[in-house]
Amino acid sequence: MDAQMHFLAALPEPSRFGDVLMAFLSIVFEGAPYILLGTILSGLIDAFLPAKFLERVLPKNKGLATIMAGFLGLIFPVCECAIVPVIRRLVQKGLPLGCAVTYMLAAPIVNPVVLVSTMTAFKEFQGLDTIATAAHPNGILGALADTAPMSLSRMFVGYIVAVLVGLVVMRFKPAQVLKEKIVESIEKGAIPVDGPVKRISFDSKLVHAMRTAMRDFLDTGMYFAIGVMITSVFNTQVNQAILDRVASNEFVALPSIMMLAMVLSLCSTSDAFIAAPMASFTFAAKLAFLVFGPMMDIKLLFMYSSVFKRRVVVALFLGLLLVIGLLVEPWAAMIEHLAKK
Amino acid sequence: MSTTRVVTHLVGVALLLLWGGVLLYFFISGRVAAYLPPDGIFRPMVLASGIGLLILGVFNLATMGSEDAGCGDHDCGHDHDHDHKHDHSGCGHDHSHDHAHDHAHKDGCCGHGEHDHKHDHSECGHDHSHDHDHSHGAHDHAHGILDESGPLGRTVAILILSVPLVLAAAMTPDRYSGAAVVNKGLYNQNYASTANADQFTLRKEGKPTAKVADAPPAPAAVALPPANVARVPGSAAPATASVATSNMGPGGPSPEKVADMVARDASKPAGKADAKSYGSFTLDDLKAQVPMSKDGNFILEVPELYYTAGDKEVQGVLSGQSVETTAQVMPEKVNNEDGKRLRILRMLVQCCAADARPYSVPVEFAEKAPTFKDMAWVKVTGIMGYKQEGGQLVPVIQAKEIKETTAPDNAMLY
Repeated sequence: MDAQMHFLAALPEPSRFGDVLMAFLSIVFEGAPYILLGTILSGLIDAFLPAKFLERVLPKNKGLATIMAGFLGLIFPVCECAIVPVIRRLVQKGLPLGCAVTYMLAAPIVNPVVLVSTMTAFKEFQGLDTIATAAHPNGILGALADTAPMSLSRMFVGYIVAVLVGLVVMRFKPAQVLKEKIVESIEKGAIPVDGPVKRISFDSKLVHAMRTAMRDFLDTGMYFAIGVMITSVFNTQVNQAILDRVASNEFVALPSIMMLAMVLSLCSTSDAFIAAPMASFTFAAKLAFLVFGPMMDIKLLFMYSSVFKRRVVVALFLGLLLVIGLLVEPWAAMIEHLAKK
Repeated sequence: MSTTRVVTHLVGVALLLLWGGVLLYFFISGRVAAYLPPDGIFRPMVLASGIGLLILGVFNLATMGSEDAGCGDHDCGHDHDHDHKHDHSGCGHDHSHDHAHDHAHKDGCCGHGEHDHKHDHSECGHDHSHDHDHSHGAHDHAHGILDESGPLGRTVAILILSVPLVLAAAMTPDRYSGAAVVNKGLYNQNYASTANADQFTLRKEGKPTAKVADAPPAPAAVALPPANVARVPGSAAPATASVATSNMGPGGPSPEKVADMVARDASKPAGKADAKSYGSFTLDDLKAQVPMSKDGNFILEVPELYYTAGDKEVQGVLSGQSVETTAQVMPEKVNNEDGKRLRILRMLVQCCAADARPYSVPVEFAEKAPTFKDMAWVKVTGIMGYKQEGGQLVPVIQAKEIKETTAPDNAMLY
């Protein structure tokens, strides 16, 4: 304890600048491990996953494949920091663009870890034990809408939005959406190989995987660092109570709470705990916060830029804002109707 | 490898070692405690990724000269000479430009072997004579920012990857200033929230906390506490505080038996400002659950006090009791025209310090409140009470004593 006091005394006095540094470090500590995980995975995929593997495994119908991709988060639960490098690599390995975007958007929401944290934050575990016996006029969905409205809505709306965006992106050519250097590498992958490929030793594959991981970590890390710098300024220097005042206005509430999700750049596993206590916001507004945040925020804006063309990132931002903004109000009304006994 | 490549590779390794070093330093020194919660995988992940980054860096350093399966050498991807040999035979023209891809790279692990493209064009062609000289870096799919940018871009990338991290690691105070705490909502508390109520409820674990709203309504058994007990707002008296204590001695926790709390609000649905009913809770429960100081004060954390505002029965029991808490202090800006109040707070972290939120309650003094340095640590003892203010029920401590103290081991609650 004594040693700790000396140690604390040696630290700088708290200041506004110190607040920014503190927030910066804490997001780095939270996010960097997952970026490393994602980039090592990405390196291994690059070195060891056969080029045509994904094409063989996925359904031939791209629309169907996109619909399936929305559930991948249930099998590979990753939050938004880890997904970007993985997606980048999977696209290069031939994962259809629509699938990739759907997986990227859905995985940080449709994901068991996030489900549990949302249910915890919104107190939706209570009542689950009695749900089987509850005879609800609207069946199991009605009962779920009654006991766990937010978790249910977050999973469903997150999934729907991710698939919608995926189906739209599917219509474009990779060259229209992806950064040039990513497109080039896909084209290379598509060139048929004449003659037998010499077997590559495991060692040199591993060297390749680790070199790729290093470059990917630095690549993603740079965009991450930019995003976290901006976020930590907003996180500590802007009074978030300003939002309470706009919360009461129906038309301003939705965009402003999504902007809050944007600037806070929270991890999808923890954002429900921030949303739940916001008493002044409606159910629909909180839902927008919980669906928009994992799909788009400042750090993601920059991390996406390492994969997609800039105007695609901007279009994604505006599209998500619009789609989620339009979807949550009717959805909330529907849930309320379903839950009614 | 060219010199540039070697330098880039080394810089990459150095950056990995830097990131890994910072993560490891904060874990080993224990300073990570100010940033991440102790339970869950957040702190172990810092250790693991710190080690992981060091290993990745050292591995790449050690294997710098080794052959990369992706393309033997990193120079390869950049200077292929494509010599296309096409054989067009369309529309009577007879152009025969010969594109012959002759890639120089070694067999790739990713399905790129030696490419030998022979295009046979037979569409209406013009006499085009392509002379492709691609210099794409796509053959091993991984040329990152450091490899592909020019000298300026490269420098900027290196700076972005290093300066903020080094600056933050060297100059972080490991704690927030009052300004950040205000921005994070110090003065905008919602006492009816139940977001983390389970964590801080005074109810015993395993004790049934089912809502009793479905039970047949019983008449509200209300006996307002004695005069010295903090006032219950008159307007909402029967609805918000259903207190059924008997002989509660002035200033001390003396009642021998406390009537079962069956009182509930049957007259109107619980609004935003009202406490909810979660079933019976007695003084015995409180004593069994909460440690007491030797002076007979219940030792509670600020979030525990905070959440009592949402639970009618707990509130009924705690109201009038002497409590003690250690917290950080800030000047009060809400309902404090006469300057008799301070605000005490604890920061609660979910996943990392960036999502820290202050939980705070006002402390009221008989006279003008003493002044402290912002965010100083204080130990407060006082009588617990509840007041209807600004549309919500606010837990207020009527201060008996406040004195500066040292920071606890864990400055943030998790």
